[in-house]
Amino acid sequence: MTPAIETVDLTRGFTSGLAVDGVTFSIERGEVLALLGPNGAGKTTTVRLLNGVLRPDRGCARVLGFDPARDGEEVRRRTGVLTENAGLDDRLTTRENLELTARIRGFDRISARRRVDELLEQFGMSERADDLTQGFSTGQRKRVALARALLHDPEVLFLDEPTSGLDPAGTRDVINLIQELAGEGRTIILATHFLGEAGRLAHRMAVLHNGRLRAFGSPRELATGIWQDMAAEIDLGGPASDQILGMLRATEGVVQATASPTGADLRVTGREGLARAVATLVGHEVHVFGAVAHPPTLEDVYFEIERRILAETGDRSHSDGFAHRWLQTGSDPR
Amino acid sequence: MSTGTRVKMDPQAIRTVVRKDLTAVRRSKPIVLPMIFVPILLIVVLPFVLGLIARTSSSQEVQNALSSSVVRDLTEPIAALPEREQMVVLTLGYLLPPLLLVIPLMVSAVLAADAFAGEKERRTLEALLHLPISDRDLFVAKVLSAFLPAVAITWIGAVLYAVVSNVVAWPVTGRLFLPFSQWTLMILWIAPAVALLALGLLVVVSSRARTTQEANQLGGAVILPLIFVGATQASALLLLPWWGVIAAGALIWALSLGLVAFNGTRFTRDRLATAA
Repeated sequence: MTPAIETVDLTRGFTSGLAVDGVTFSIERGEVLALLGPNGAGKTTTVRLLNGVLRPDRGCARVLGFDPARDGEEVRRRTGVLTENAGLDDRLTTRENLELTARIRGFDRISARRRVDELLEQFGMSERADDLTQGFSTGQRKRVALARALLHDPEVLFLDEPTSGLDPAGTRDVINLIQELAGEGRTIILATHFLGEAGRLAHRMAVLHNGRLRAFGSPRELATGIWQDMAAEIDLGGPASDQILGMLRATEGVVQATASPTGADLRVTGREGLARAVATLVGHEVHVFGAVAHPPTLEDVYFEIERRILAETGDRSHSDGFAHRWLQTGSDPR
Repeated sequence: MSTGTRVKMDPQAIRTVVRKDLTAVRRSKPIVLPMIFVPILLIVVLPFVLGLIARTSSSQEVQNALSSSVVRDLTEPIAALPEREQMVVLTLGYLLPPLLLVIPLMVSAVLAADAFAGEKERRTLEALLHLPISDRDLFVAKVLSAFLPAVAITWIGAVLYAVVSNVVAWPVTGRLFLPFSQWTLMILWIAPAVALLALGLLVVVSSRARTTQEANQLGGAVILPLIFVGATQASALLLLPWWGVIAAGALIWALSLGLVAFNGTRFTRDRLATAA
């Protein structure tokens, strides 16, 4: 099956330097990809390139089989975009903002009105339909903008910082909504620097730094590429004795074992290592009250990647080959 | 154009962008107020005051005015009129009407500045660029969003001007001296061409500027020379035979359309997004 989105050596520069530099990746239909990176990493430029707003200097992209540089309109007909700034015209009402977009997208007057009513209802904005959007809260603006992105029921969604500026309740609502959209089988590219939402929503993540793709894969795949082991904890109801620690250290898959106030802290090579450690203790009739593995979180992975990038480059300038050496995963087409 | 394949024009998308812009502009006081007050000054106040003064001028003043180098070319049509009509017809029929050409220039300038620079300033441009409207259609829509109001305001203004001028002059003329054929051609044929000429330049200026203020400043550098040239030359248009006015208008149309077409081909959303 054709990937929903693929890029090969996608490169775009501005007078200030390369904003996107040789980015290659591919994602399947129905997949949610988090584009992660600090401000200026190239996330928004990547979205603009994928939607045919910008043309690449080098390389190419295909979105749903279309080349955005050549068939930009065909791509934009099939994609919906939530820009970082909601981009609503404050001189227009909520309904006008949506209906005029629907008309540009080819809806006739009646179906535009019907679809807008549906979405306003869905997003809880029906009562503000005829109010000018001037003075709307960030959350309300995001909801209207998200409704606008969904007017034509797009196959692909580009969401650029969808929760920036939202309060916790607004963030939760938007994340729940994106989860619903992902559940409907849409392909979603989520450009964000909020790791929490990326961790909850994305199947895979692409880490951009100074325009270069530094890592690509699922958090687990990336963690495996970074660390050989993970932390785990065993609850024994009290500190582990030297004898128990010895048993643990002798178990296959246990890299390290130290006593903790409630039992033992371990470093294990995957969850299987922890299972073996528990089996060993139970086999020796040691009471085990609990055991939990602590795989690296998305934040752990992301910051370790950032740390290594900075360690290698010494500053925030570009470096070659770094990501390829240690972050290539089975998911990266390169 | 960013799209490699030549696509058909999408009239619905163009109409919608125009409608969106016109609706938004109508609700924007900083844009609407200058578009009302400047034309009122030029169309109502100025002809009314100058018409009253001209109406009461002595025959010596008329002779002095006609012998001045500025209006020497106007002597012939004016001299054929009864003496008491000469000054008022000279003022309201020949000297002031070229100012009507300032209206399409001014309205074009204000609306063109809002077309792209205003969108950038309000941070609405990005969302627009992500819609399935071709670069060409977007350019056409933005030109029309400024062109249509510029022409409409000019035409409405011209009717008002003719009414005010005839009313003021009536006590001495006792007849409707406006419109006459060259004046009508100037309004219907040349004014729209002048608006388009300004837009051909200003839409590009607006697309490159980051703010409306910047667009206005850059636009001023373009528009002021046009106003100067227009104001000094337009009286001469009124002395040409009707076909001469049509030919002069055709020249301006050709220049305007050429400029718009040239800038239209160079206009891409990539440049627009990059300038933003």
